[in-house]
Amino acid sequence: MTDPVDSAPTSSQANAPAQLPTQAATENPSTTLPIREAKSAKDQGPAPSDKKPTKGKDAPAAAAPADAAAAAGGEKPLTPAELKKKAKAEKAARRAKEKLERDGGAGAAGGSAPGPGAGQPRPPATPKKDAAAGGAAQKGSRAPPPRRGSQGGAGAAVEQKKKKEDKSVAVFGHLYGQQRRTTIAGAGKEVHPAVLALGLQLRDYVVCGSSARCVATMLAFKRVVESYTTPLGTSLPRHLTTHLSHQITYLSTCRPLSISQGNAIRALKLAIAGIDPSMPESAAKATLCDFIDSFIREKITVADQVIAASAAQKIQDGDVIVTFAGSSIVKQTLLAAHKEGKQFRVSIIDSRPLFEGKNLARALANAGLDVTYSLVHGISHAIKDATKVFLGAHAMTSNGRLYSRVGTALVAMSAKERAGGVEVPVIVCCETVKFTDRVALDSIVVNEIADANELVPADVPQQVTGLPDPAAFTAPPVDPKKAKGGKPANAPTPDPVASDRGPSPSPLANWKETHNLQLLNLMYDATPAEYVDMVVTELGSLPPSAVPIVHRMSTNM
Amino acid sequence: MPSTALALTPGLASFLKSLKTNPIDTSIENLVSLLKRRQIRHSRSCATATAYLLLRVVSACRTSESAKLIERVQSVGRRLMAAQPREMVVGNIVRRVLGLIRDEAEDDREAEFALSEAGSESQPQTPRAFDDSSLPLDRDMLSLRGEGAERSTSRPPLTSMFSLLSHPEPEHSLPSTPGTQSPNGRLFSPGQSKDVRAEVLEGINEIIDELGQVDDQIAAYALDHIHSNEIILTHTSSTTVQKFLLKAAAKRKFTVIIAESFPNNHEATHATISGTSLGDDENLTFDSFQKPLIAHGITVILIPDSAVFALMSRVNKVILGTHSVLANGGLVASAGTRVIARAAKVHQTPVVVVSGVYKLSPVYPFDFDSLIEYGDASKVLPYEDGDLVDKIDVQNPIYDYVPAELIDLYITNLGGHAPSYLYRIVSDHYRKEDISF
Repeated sequence: MTDPVDSAPTSSQANAPAQLPTQAATENPSTTLPIREAKSAKDQGPAPSDKKPTKGKDAPAAAAPADAAAAAGGEKPLTPAELKKKAKAEKAARRAKEKLERDGGAGAAGGSAPGPGAGQPRPPATPKKDAAAGGAAQKGSRAPPPRRGSQGGAGAAVEQKKKKEDKSVAVFGHLYGQQRRTTIAGAGKEVHPAVLALGLQLRDYVVCGSSARCVATMLAFKRVVESYTTPLGTSLPRHLTTHLSHQITYLSTCRPLSISQGNAIRALKLAIAGIDPSMPESAAKATLCDFIDSFIREKITVADQVIAASAAQKIQDGDVIVTFAGSSIVKQTLLAAHKEGKQFRVSIIDSRPLFEGKNLARALANAGLDVTYSLVHGISHAIKDATKVFLGAHAMTSNGRLYSRVGTALVAMSAKERAGGVEVPVIVCCETVKFTDRVALDSIVVNEIADANELVPADVPQQVTGLPDPAAFTAPPVDPKKAKGGKPANAPTPDPVASDRGPSPSPLANWKETHNLQLLNLMYDATPAEYVDMVVTELGSLPPSAVPIVHRMSTNM
Repeated sequence: MPSTALALTPGLASFLKSLKTNPIDTSIENLVSLLKRRQIRHSRSCATATAYLLLRVVSACRTSESAKLIERVQSVGRRLMAAQPREMVVGNIVRRVLGLIRDEAEDDREAEFALSEAGSESQPQTPRAFDDSSLPLDRDMLSLRGEGAERSTSRPPLTSMFSLLSHPEPEHSLPSTPGTQSPNGRLFSPGQSKDVRAEVLEGINEIIDELGQVDDQIAAYALDHIHSNEIILTHTSSTTVQKFLLKAAAKRKFTVIIAESFPNNHEATHATISGTSLGDDENLTFDSFQKPLIAHGITVILIPDSAVFALMSRVNKVILGTHSVLANGGLVASAGTRVIARAAKVHQTPVVVVSGVYKLSPVYPFDFDSLIEYGDASKVLPYEDGDLVDKIDVQNPIYDYVPAELIDLYITNLGGHAPSYLYRIVSDHYRKEDISF
């Protein structure tokens, strides 16, 4: 579930943890490191090995990052209970200072979202943790956010805020709620390290896809529950809910919660509320952990297997399956059908900027399927000889609309409106946990707006073969480029990446300073119900109109 | 400084430069290879290059016999079209030049015929009446171009029965022909027919002029179609569309949403909207050094192609450029256009296509796939993913065929037309005998 979709952020983060050890070691290694170690365990294999002995912990380096972080965090609250008192005064001063800096650095209101409530009577994250993490972020994490495009001091922040209002597309004004969090600086002290790590992974699309996000969230919350101790004078059902809501708030500042996450959280809260207050804490925690495990198993893991098995029945020999972007459930379906020995071809349509279909293409090709890959511009060509369209879902709304990665609607529409040809059946694979009671008439009501800077073609050095001769590749590539592109010799950029695309990286590089120019990076669109023939769920295959009924059934149970 | 760089790059500019000095056969070879290597890409660049080359060919062809001239132009035209069959404007220009020559030849014949007739009896009345009835339409078209006033008076006053039979069109209303119609003095000067070549050369020059002005002529209709506070969606970076929008931007405030047409043309799109010249040689020749839309206070929203459906419900009008237009009202445009037009249809949003008449091709393709060109797969899947490239089949279509039913309106330099009317413009511009040569 935590497949590294986007390699860019992970590599850029790799140098952030590299700086961290020194910074952290001076302050309080045992408390600062867990999160960071989790990240570096993923990013650079050897890094954690030298840190582990000093702390005497056994976080599995190779495990999934969320697990690693959570395991590390599991024993963290035990260590520094008394440190808190000593450092309290110092902390307060430092925090005030950081807040100032951070507001400048984050450049958005969202950066300071859950202000750490200092008066919480609870074994909290250590006082220094925040300080160190914040301080580290100031120095180390300056590297990751360049893609967020928010550098500059406090003075620039004000100016930038003014620009940002200018940059939001008016129709989508309601969706530009808050800027996504850039660092973990300013996260509340009650936010669990596993959740901190997950938040960053969500933000960077490391954990991407509705089901994966749901599972990862539940796993992280399981760690939260495991490491939770009820403070004196309150009961677990009552306090754990508020404790969780801090985690949830943090997660939603990293990336708006998906429908599946929302549903899972709702179920979890319901389970917490259902716990008898008189139940001993350990038993209650065990119950909750069991609940989370069985939720994941029932709603996602087994559901996926059921869906894959039943959707694979729909595939016949000789089919040409068109799918859009990279849905994990569609992947399972296709692999299941392939395992059954069916002969069919898959045509994957992908889109900028996430290119999720690439991973799907790779997985299918490795399994030996016959794969064609194209981008959105090739939809009408891909659909021409298609016999079925399989789509994943982010959510199904109550009015039967399919809410999925932006571009899905184009594929479904092309399948239904094929000129002169027979309609191609459109089959959606969707777990019922993704059903929602929200309704949407178009893609504007409900949506998520991602950072528009992702649309700026960054440093994709893809024109390697465009150079005239291979020898020029080793030479400073400014000259050959000029000869080839006929560019005037006014930009002496020795940076090979930049000059690959011409004198400047992209004409859009400073779009934020350009008046009247806006970039819009939508995440989802709503496919009209009439384009969807069938929704395959773990409860059976339904028409899209059955979504509200099934949603009611599954939530009332 | 760009001029020196330009001379080095193979393209339209360097071709036109070399055209003056090189011998004809070299120039033909040159253009053939440019077309084959796709170093001339844009339809208008192709059209301009073809027109200039034919200008040279005709002027170098030392014959006054129209049949030989036609033969020569045909042979050159065949080579050019064979070099890049999907570049239909090349064929269009060749056909128009052929039509010019035929017209001239017939005019000469008619003149002689009319003269010999004039002595014996009066002019036949019927054809004249027929002719006159068709005049108003023709005048309108000409006056749109702002140069028809003196032309219509200088037209030969009659068409004989003979010519009615030989070509059923009462009038060749193509904007370039009127200039080539000789002044009526010819009727009274019974000398040997004027040099056909001179007339044809003049006609070709008019075609070239037309190519230069076509965008501005189309843009003249912009205010009829773009109104205040509208949201216009367009795709990729077409000079014609940009000029069209710019013209409206001078008077009105509206919003433009541009789909970037990744991966084949997104860089040009980005450059166009942000107003930074990409240094593209072909664009340089066509004075694209004007202010971008954003400089006129127009809000421009760039979106990836995938977001078109999501935004279509808020769009008032879709304005598309095209690569070539077919006689059936369909068109071939950059890949991705078809889903955009389809999404617009689904949302009942009008789709307006702006295109010069020179892109209008008389070809009726029965196999639309033959019109589609496929491009560099590495643009879709860069070679960093080389392991993947080995295993999967990557497709990068460059063009889409958009059927006529998805288009609501064509705007050409002659005005606005329904897609179903295009066949008529085709028959106005091309001679039947040239459609397949």
